[in-house]
Amino acid sequence: MKMNQLKNIFLLTAGVMGLAACKPEINTPAATQGSADFSRYISVGNSLTSGFADGGLYREGQLNSFPAIIAQQMQKIGGGAFVQPLFSEAQANGSGYLMLKSISADGTPVTANVTDNVAIRGQITVPTSATTTLKVTLYTKYAGDINNYGVPGIKLLTSTLPSYGNLNGYFERMLPGNAPSNNTSYLDFVTSKPFTFFSNWLGNNDALGYATSGGVGDVLTDKGTFSALYNQVINKLTLAGQKGAVATIPDVTAIPYFNTVTINAILASVKKASPAAQALFVNAKVNADAVGTTYAARPATSADLVVLTFPTSKIGQPVATPYGNLPYGLTQYTPIENQYVLDANEVAMTQDYVISYNNTIKSVASSKGLAVVDIYAVLNNIKKNGLTVDGINLTSDFISGGIFSLDGIHLTPRGYAVVANEFIKAINAQYGSNIPLANVAAYRGVKLP
Amino acid sequence: MRKLLLSLLALLPAAAFSQGFQVNLGGQKQIGMGHTGTGLVQDGASVFFNPGAVAMLPENSIQAGISPLMFKSVFNPAGTDVQYRTSDKVATPFNAYAVWGPKSAAWKLGLGVYTPFGGLTDWGNNWQGKYVLESLDLKAIFFQPTISIKLADFISIGGGFVYSHGIVDLKRAIPVANANGEDGQAQLKGSGHGYGWNAGVFMKTESGITVGVSYRSKVTTTIENGDAYFTNLPSALATSFPQPNNFRAGIPLPATTSLGFGFYPSKKWTVALDANLVAWHVYKSLDFDYAQNTSRLQDTHSPRLYRDGFSLRAGTEYKPVTKWAIRGGGGYASTAAQDGYVTPEVPDANRYYLTAGLGYKLANKLDLDFSFEYEHLFKRTQTNIEAQLAGTYKSNVYIPGVSLTYHW
Repeated sequence: MKMNQLKNIFLLTAGVMGLAACKPEINTPAATQGSADFSRYISVGNSLTSGFADGGLYREGQLNSFPAIIAQQMQKIGGGAFVQPLFSEAQANGSGYLMLKSISADGTPVTANVTDNVAIRGQITVPTSATTTLKVTLYTKYAGDINNYGVPGIKLLTSTLPSYGNLNGYFERMLPGNAPSNNTSYLDFVTSKPFTFFSNWLGNNDALGYATSGGVGDVLTDKGTFSALYNQVINKLTLAGQKGAVATIPDVTAIPYFNTVTINAILASVKKASPAAQALFVNAKVNADAVGTTYAARPATSADLVVLTFPTSKIGQPVATPYGNLPYGLTQYTPIENQYVLDANEVAMTQDYVISYNNTIKSVASSKGLAVVDIYAVLNNIKKNGLTVDGINLTSDFISGGIFSLDGIHLTPRGYAVVANEFIKAINAQYGSNIPLANVAAYRGVKLP
Repeated sequence: MRKLLLSLLALLPAAAFSQGFQVNLGGQKQIGMGHTGTGLVQDGASVFFNPGAVAMLPENSIQAGISPLMFKSVFNPAGTDVQYRTSDKVATPFNAYAVWGPKSAAWKLGLGVYTPFGGLTDWGNNWQGKYVLESLDLKAIFFQPTISIKLADFISIGGGFVYSHGIVDLKRAIPVANANGEDGQAQLKGSGHGYGWNAGVFMKTESGITVGVSYRSKVTTTIENGDAYFTNLPSALATSFPQPNNFRAGIPLPATTSLGFGFYPSKKWTVALDANLVAWHVYKSLDFDYAQNTSRLQDTHSPRLYRDGFSLRAGTEYKPVTKWAIRGGGGYASTAAQDGYVTPEVPDANRYYLTAGLGYKLANKLDLDFSFEYEHLFKRTQTNIEAQLAGTYKSNVYIPGVSLTYHW
């Protein structure tokens, strides 16, 4: 065979391969915002809105906040710029946060605090009444445009309080003035600049503050007050006919903060050391209404929820009592203290309040034609059935579940992406828009050492 | 000449799918005619298409062909505007046959080396389905010694023994984040072998129509001791993913029953029809059995639940002058993957294909054949039940090919 012929064969083959370069295409629907207008989207809410994770607010968490994820997707169909009050790169660790240092042989996670490169500028003591004061940690001020107004710690109850800018360092950081001279309420601040679309996920702390403190450090916001304030907030947010999405409040029993350190697990490890042990004792609320304040020691059951931060090493330590030194948690005279346990009655009461809050949220939203994101149902469903998405099996388990961050309450970037998609689905359904869903697989779960 | 044949053989085979992960690139003449050949006596590729026809071949021959294959797939996740594409990788299915027998004898011996199954899909490590699959390179090379006997002038039979050598290289991301927030990576790599057989009968009818029936058995290729590599994992999980580790996996390659006809309207024309039934139901699940299991590393059993597929093919050859042959054809193949079980490994769907071919006699005993095939897999919107990966797949396949045949 002549070389020329060979050459021609190869040229012909190369030509055919060139033809083959055409790629298959799938036509996706044309972008539409439907009846909504995403040109200036603002997000209103608490820590869950700010991107809080691992017990702190830090830059990576902010960058992966669910409103930021929603806004990125909105921009694909013509949504406007979305600016967050980010901590600077130099102070990227913001408030500081928890990281996982190691996992001990028995599977217990060991966490450590990240304390370098934080954005703390000081601490002040602010009077909250004639006799009480509050220590407030202040952070490096943020000056500039804001779309994500998430403020860790804020309640619906405090969202209309003019002095709140002096009581919460995360809010104070967004305001031009310094504590303790601020007098602009959160609601007034977030509505001071025109916007076209909002998300509102206020209300979690009205129940969570009570629950996470074991029913000691805080109180549940009164149901009637919640309803009045929720109406007030939504009325103001929709004053110029703005559209938006609101989210319900999760059931406290759906989060790992209350499901990881359990009565049964503690009792099992106690029995390993002293087989004679029969029960743990907790200091529990005697009735399930908000009026009663009587607590009494009783044997613990699996309906009593122990907080994630309970130092289990306390169990069995000698405690001085009128009857001599008795082991902590193991007798009715030395029950596990109230602040470590959301006991069965407190759980029932919190659940009752949350259901009432959620009924308010849903009815107000429906009267205004807003999209409702039923996070209560979503998280309960994940707790019950797990969630498989793009080959990832997500659960409500602490650390391994992939959704909840190291504080057991707030979410991982992957968890926030799941929430963002729930918002997007609800918004698209309500307003006929087609915001593309976010890629959950592109966001991480808990970082392991 | 010999040197060129050898260099074609030396290229590493990879493969693609014609249905599920079956490749139908048995020979260049047959590809040009829409993959028909069960009912024809064309060349040594009868070893693959119908061993019963081998004894009817008028000459001894040796041949080799290669069909560089570009499988271009796109995936649009449900509810998004994103399109993920497989990277441009070229698989190289090949075929090589030798047929020999004394001129006076009623029998012929044959040997075929070909790649009837395989897949090469590379979605990359940054796409939405990375935890389901990053890339898969699957190859099965069949070695098939064959004997064929002419029972009478109008009928011949044949059969072959099949030794299969299979290679798997599968990569996927593991959804755990290390201290840098990066995914873990799993790679399962190994090779194994399996056995099978095939048989066929070929008949010339009084009306001049030729008929062929062939059966290729199931070949379960078992990878006994593949390597399971787990990398980029957090050190806290080192004990959960022991290294080194091995895995065992079996890949059932299904039986295929074919019926083919040849029609000869004139001396210059040949028209062929083929029908195939592929018993894909043997592919029930993709299982990886690890030598060392931990609470986090369990054996996996992913349901595939393939169902039998069929394909219908037609093709023609026209020889205007003795030196040239022009070929064309096409076909349709039904999908083996049921709704809910489509995976990015094989984004299977119903498909049609169009083929063209050109044959040229370089010399008295030397044939050069070109083939080109375009395959289109219909758009398919699926939610995989196991992984909950939802979206729309669409694929095109482009397969040029060339072969050389020496006959005497």
